[in-house]
Formats: sequence, C-alpha cells, structure tokens
Amino acid sequence: MPEPATPSTELFSSAAQPTLNGRRCRACGYVFFPPQSYGCEYCGAPTDQLEPKSLSGLGSLASFATVHLHQGKEIEAPFTVGLIVLDDGPAVRAILMQRTDDGLKIGDRMRAVIVETNSEGGRARELRFTKEETAR
Amino acid sequence: MRKTLRQMRPVYVVGIGLHRYQRLSDTPYVTLGLTAVREALNDAGIEWKSVESAYTGTAFIGMAASRPMLRHLGATGIAMAQVENASASGSTAVRQACLDVASSLTDVSLAVGVDKPGPIAGAPGKTNIHDLVGRRVVPFTHFALLANEYMNRYGATAEQVAMVAVKNNRNGANNPYAQRQKAVTLEEVLAGPQISGSLTRLQCCPVGEGAAAVLVASDDAIEKLRIDRSRAIRVTASVSRSERVYRDAKNFDAELTRETVAQAYQEAQIEPQDLDVVELHDAFTIEELLYVEAMGLCGEGEGARMISSGAVDIGGKCAISASGGLLAMGHPIGPTGTGQIAEITRQLRREAGARQQPNARTGLAHMVGVGAVCVVHVLQKDS
Repeated sequence: MPEPATPSTELFSSAAQPTLNGRRCRACGYVFFPPQSYGCEYCGAPTDQLEPKSLSGLGSLASFATVHLHQGKEIEAPFTVGLIVLDDGPAVRAILMQRTDDGLKIGDRMRAVIVETNSEGGRARELRFTKEETAR
Repeated sequence: MRKTLRQMRPVYVVGIGLHRYQRLSDTPYVTLGLTAVREALNDAGIEWKSVESAYTGTAFIGMAASRPMLRHLGATGIAMAQVENASASGSTAVRQACLDVASSLTDVSLAVGVDKPGPIAGAPGKTNIHDLVGRRVVPFTHFALLANEYMNRYGATAEQVAMVAVKNNRNGANNPYAQRQKAVTLEEVLAGPQISGSLTRLQCCPVGEGAAAVLVASDDAIEKLRIDRSRAIRVTASVSRSERVYRDAKNFDAELTRETVAQAYQEAQIEPQDLDVVELHDAFTIEELLYVEAMGLCGEGEGARMISSGAVDIGGKCAISASGGLLAMGHPIGPTGTGQIAEITRQLRREAGARQQPNARTGLAHMVGVGAVCVVHVLQKDS
C-alpha cells in the first residue's frame, strides 16, 4: 500500500500577510500548529484525517520574555520570545522583531512577518512576529 | 478489579541515603550511587542480600547503568533495570519499587537515582516536528513566559516570585546534601545575572551530579529483618500521569499537576490541608507558585502572597521545599525524585534537625518531566 501523501511540513506560506500552515482534524475539529501528520493528539484520528488548515498570521500577545543567556550560534542574545494566541485559535511561540521587551505589553496586537536570517546552511527564511503599529 | 496502592498490601520506606548533589566532577557514577545505597542499607539496618529488586532512575549515564554499579555490593542475581522518565526518573524508580512490594513480588526493593548530566539529545528533538523557535526556547524561557503571564494576570511582582528562591535557599543552607548551602537575600536573587525574562540565575535550579536511594519493604520484611517499625513511613499513594490536550486551560503545566495531585489525594484519602511537608518541582521560582495553587494549598493567584506570608516556611502551616527544593538542593535529574522521598521520610521520622517541620505526619512529593509527565507520592506516618 502506498504511503499516504504527506502535506508539506513548511511552517508558513508567503503572501503580503504571511499565514501559518496548521492542520485540522476532520474527525474532531481540533486545529493545531506546528503541523504534523502522525495522528491527532486530541482524538487519535490517523494521518488521513489531518488536513491542511491555513492560519491567519494575526493574533495577540499572551506573554513575552527577553532571553539574556543563549548558547546556540543561530541567534545572539538578547532576543525576545513571544507567546501569541492566533486569531484562528492555536497559541504559538515565536521570535519577536522587537529585540528587547521595551514597549511590549500583554494584549498587544501582533502580526507575522517573514525575515531572512543567516543560518549555518546559508540564508534562510523564518517567521517572526512584530507588534502592530496602532493607527492613531 | 483495579486497586490503588493503598488498597494493596502496605509499603513502607525503611531506608534512605544520599550522595551530596554537587557540580559535575570526575567522581564516577558508581561511587555516587554506592554511597547512597550503602547509607540507605545502614539506615534500614539490613544487608544487601535482603534486597530483591532494584530500579535505577537515570537519564544521562547511558545504557545499562545498574549492574556495573550494584555488583559491587555483591552480585546476588536480583532483578534490576534502569528507569528513565526525564526529570521524574527518580520518582518513577520509587514507584516501580513500591509496586514490586505492594504486589507481593518482593518484600524489599531498592530505588536509586544517580546521574551525571551531559550533552545527550532527548527524544522530543527527534520527532521531526519543527516549530518556529526550535532550540532558542529552552526550559528557562518556557518558565519565564509563564512567569510574565502569571505576574500580569494576578498583579504579582518580580520580587514576590523571587521570594521563592530566598525561602528555598534558606532551607538548603541547613541541608548537608544540598548543592547550594548558602542563604541569600532578595537583593542577591534579583541582582542577577539575568537569564530570561524576570528569571535570574538564583531563580533557576543548579543541575549537577549526585545520588539518592530509598529502600521500601513490606510488613513481612519489617518483621523478619527486625527493621525499626517506628522509623518506617508508609507510602499511601503513587500516581503517574501524562499531559492531555487541555483545550481551555490557561496553563498546561499547572493543569497536569492539578489532575495528578487530585488523584493522589483521592487515593491516599487526604485533603490538601492535611499536608505538613511538600517537596515539589521548583526548577524555576515561578513553578512553586503555579504548583501550590494547582495543589489546592491556596486559591488561584494567591501563591505569591502565600510564599511571602511565611505559611510555607518551616514552622508554618505546610513546609514547602524544606530540603531546599530543586532551587537549592539541586536537580541532578535521576536522583531528584528519589531524594524528595528521602527528605519527606526524614521529616516524618522527625529526624530533619535544623529544618524539621514540627509535628509532620503527612507529606507529598511531586515531580514533572519533559514530555510532559507528572509523578506524585503521598507518605504518611502511621498513628
């Protein structure tokens, strides 16, 4: 029996406003991110029940922390990690464009942006979040 | 029909022993482990040949840790195996030893936690599921995010969160087995260095090496081996759970603790207010606030005030982390959960010296582990 077709495991899609590539369980309706095709964590439905579900890159900031100590080479401290509750449901953790927490507060509106980074394998693209500029 | 531990034949902790938790050194794990086991045998007043099964809680030493260590006590041919359950490895080793005795498979069993943490990649990084942050979020940032969220939700301050480290280091200063044995002031805790969010270095537990051993036995063994019954402490609940999907919960870590502890209360037939001593997974200061609330020791959002009030100091209503907890005693991974059982046993025997909680009768030990898993034991002094 052939392996079921596995949707791309890319985490996001490029567009004027980038979206996150989540999954939805057809059996129970559970929506999740990051994407995986092993089986539904909520109800146990198998791979063929998990369908791609595009999630809006808009949400609100549920928490944040500026990291002062970091050993990996892929990013230099300080940098700030945010927990963002997407308007489409799931909560995701992402690197914020704001390097420190100056001016950030819980409840801030956030949107996803694609940035070019230098990683070991050359240039890469990743999804980060930034605070929405409020129009006043 | 299903039974709880308390409905099976009684299991007692009869011997405890430790090797001090300390910074990684050249000391072989064999020396660490044997020191703890020999101390536990002496404490129980029994010989190694009376022990019928052994479980080694360890996460970092590598395959087949038990016999290369335990053979030096005399190779008696008993059942032995390693138990790995992340930070709850030592707790799970205790549980397996208790189950052997409770089920009548053995009369005396050993749990020994021993570890020398090193750069071994865990399985969660090998699932081929990637997220947006990868290794840029390590445990201290996971808990820094929870700390910020907690402070914002309840109006608690960074100083109130940091008070957990002041209390637990004060306790650890009286524990000869603790890695950190020095009382610290709030100013020293807050002075940094900063690690992540509001968490400073002293608000994060030290991960070093060490060992802890617990011998558990049946009534028959206590009788036959003439073990001092007045120093035997009964294990009245052993509960092990793993995280579910809490679709509406604010905090998965607290929710897992809430349901595991609730089951332990039910199995031991106790209420939160019956607890005199609690050893919990305070790897980071914020965790103690989250878990005292999840354990029902105070209401939601009241944890910060409870820590500052003295109610959870030694001599208060319920002493929390009297050993110094993970923050001061240390978190060598494999030994940690076994060491909690040793501390509670010492407290309920009233042998804890300068850190003795007066009139301690009932204690609870709680560990969580990456995954996430949660293991809880209740110990009680027979009246």
